[in-house]
Amino acid sequence: MDIPVSRDTVTIDESVHYIYKQLTDGTDPVTVPFKTMKDVFLWAASLGYKRGERRPITGKKLTIFRWAQFSSQNDIPVVKAISLADGDDITVLLSQDEMLNVVEEYANAGIHDLRTRLLDESGQPLWKLVNTL
Amino acid sequence: MKLERITIENFRQYYGKQRVDFAKEDQKRVTVIHGINGAGKTSFFLSINWCLYGKSFENVKVVDNVGELMSKEAVSRAVIGETVRTSVDLAFLHNGERYMVKRSLQGIKQEDGTVRLEENDNFTMMRTRADGQAERINNPIGTMNSILPVNVREYFLFDGEKIDNFAKPEAAAQVKQAIYLVLKLEILERSRRHLDTVATEYRKELKNKSGKELRDLLEQEEKARADIKKTKDRIYDLHQEKESAEGKVGDIDKRLREMENTNTLQQQRDRIERELKQRRTEMEEVVSTVRDLAVAGFFVVAEPAIKKAIQLLEEKRERGEIPSDYRQQFIKDLISKMVCVCGRPFMDGSEEHKALLAKITHGLPDALQDEVLNTCAVLHAFEQRTEKHRADLDAAMRRRAELVDIIRILEAELDDVSRQLKGSPLEEISKLERQRENFRADIQSNTLEIGSLHVRVDDFTKQIAELKKEIDRARKEEKREVLLSTKLDLAQKAADAIGEMYQTFADDMREKIQEKTKEIFKKLVWKESHFQDVKLGPEFNLEVIDRYGFSARPELSAGERQVLSLSFIMAMSRVSEEEAPLVMDTPFGRLSSHHRNAIAEHLPTLADQLVLFVTDEELRDEARQSLEPRIGAEYRLEFSPRTSCTEIVEVR
Repeated sequence: MDIPVSRDTVTIDESVHYIYKQLTDGTDPVTVPFKTMKDVFLWAASLGYKRGERRPITGKKLTIFRWAQFSSQNDIPVVKAISLADGDDITVLLSQDEMLNVVEEYANAGIHDLRTRLLDESGQPLWKLVNTL
Repeated sequence: MKLERITIENFRQYYGKQRVDFAKEDQKRVTVIHGINGAGKTSFFLSINWCLYGKSFENVKVVDNVGELMSKEAVSRAVIGETVRTSVDLAFLHNGERYMVKRSLQGIKQEDGTVRLEENDNFTMMRTRADGQAERINNPIGTMNSILPVNVREYFLFDGEKIDNFAKPEAAAQVKQAIYLVLKLEILERSRRHLDTVATEYRKELKNKSGKELRDLLEQEEKARADIKKTKDRIYDLHQEKESAEGKVGDIDKRLREMENTNTLQQQRDRIERELKQRRTEMEEVVSTVRDLAVAGFFVVAEPAIKKAIQLLEEKRERGEIPSDYRQQFIKDLISKMVCVCGRPFMDGSEEHKALLAKITHGLPDALQDEVLNTCAVLHAFEQRTEKHRADLDAAMRRRAELVDIIRILEAELDDVSRQLKGSPLEEISKLERQRENFRADIQSNTLEIGSLHVRVDDFTKQIAELKKEIDRARKEEKREVLLSTKLDLAQKAADAIGEMYQTFADDMREKIQEKTKEIFKKLVWKESHFQDVKLGPEFNLEVIDRYGFSARPELSAGERQVLSLSFIMAMSRVSEEEAPLVMDTPFGRLSSHHRNAIAEHLPTLADQLVLFVTDEELRDEARQSLEPRIGAEYRLEFSPRTSCTEIVEVR
């Protein structure tokens, strides 16, 4: 079976882009733990799945990074696990497009949770992130 | 345009097919068609108009209020259910090419004797190419309009009844309109109007924009850059101050180290400070580790997904779907060779063959199988990694807590040393330590201020980046504005130039027509000596000036008015240089014999081709004699009261 040419761009809803910017804007590790939007995205997707919240992207789609930036040891297995767990269908593993759709929608829901946890409550974001684990 | 032939079929009182060949030789360019009143002259005239333009063309009514076009005789002779057809074919030459146009209308005879007509008539146009082949023209209506525009038509195909219209006192607008249309002044006027409108739109658009936005943005950028520079200068100064204070602290420390009474305390302080520095560095490293672990820890959050995915894959494995114990490619190879795995050949349709086929259909595709096996292995590894990750993070956090305590203790020890020195009974020592404390305080406050100023620089830098984007956008906008004002300028200049051209051209044309009308009018009017001049004023009023220099129009007889009108029309057709026939329906009806004679004499030289529909009374005696040498074709319309039909009879 040939794997068809797939979508390579990882996108978010334009309306949540400001959260991604807020969470990555700065160099102090205690106040701004995230270095890249990819990290924020994976956290948002994991939180979204954990809470069982999936939200389709209804606004304009914005590309924030590319599939190739996912690490094969850490990131891609989690993307695959969420996709498998979401649909009970192993053939999803052959469709990068479908896997992206799934994690993007979980991230679209989870990003709000991440923001609430790290920015809305008092305390330093890094320690709050640690407490989430 | 020169008419060659017309074929009329079942059109009004013309029953059946009838044909007329028009005279078109230079020397014999006149076709005369005789008919008494009611014989069908107007129907014939109408058939030409209908053939070329239909009932109406671009909202111009061509054939109006004339009742049915279809021959009543043809309808009455048709049986019920039979198709009845009306058509007019016209052949003509234009710019050296031969055209054939045909308009037809058909319908089916109903039981009540009427004809149910098809909704639209059918218009076709053919052109004969140089090689003699006829080709169909795809846009016949447009082509026809370019050969003889519909709104110009009535100046070439005109109705004698309306001939004096142009000479009526209220006709200035009509005269102007005629000149516009025939001499194509309308095109110039329209393009001038169009360009004027465009220029106005550009002007409006420009008014809504201005260069102010760009200027404001550039000012803001300049200000932000100035602020950055000021802030950086301040940071530099603070660094200088800080270094100087640090130097002073160093000097004091040196003094304290050298003094016998303080030497032990100062060495203790040196040691604590060294350790504090180390611990702080370690603290930074630990925080960095915590950060890396925390950020990479999303997989811990995703644990439920990982567990569920593993469970799903395990179920598949338990059901024997994965991993299958063979590769699909291997099975396919066996089938293609028709050899069993033990090396024994088998037959098509045999048990072995069936078993192998079943394995292919039930197995997973190779790509998916690889994917599933790899994913399964990697996800299993995560189960242990989650534990390890949590343990690493806990360890790092514990170490951080320890360091916090260590640092706090070291700082307390430093305070203690300082307190002892300050409390020294020796004035010098206590003074030095207080100075040292002040310098330390300066260093701290400078460090704090430098930090906050760096944040300001970052903010300004971001602001400048944003402004740059805005400026780029505004610059593009401004380029558009420059382009827009160039366009505006161009449109306005072109409109003005066309306006001037138009005025010059219109004046020029008016004068030309005036001269030509005068020339023709003088030829045609017998009281030549009485009329001195013909004027077409700037307001387009057509005036005849008598020998006393007064406008003679109020005194013109009906006949003279007709002649003036005719002169004007002839003048226009001459000046327009449009190659078109003059087809006139009863032109001489209201003229005295003097005028008729003059017109009959001069008319053939004033048109390339002349078709006259006349009554016998209109054209006789001297008039007839004048025209005689130029007549190339002559027909008579014979109306039969018995059948109510007209037959066209060739008399020459």
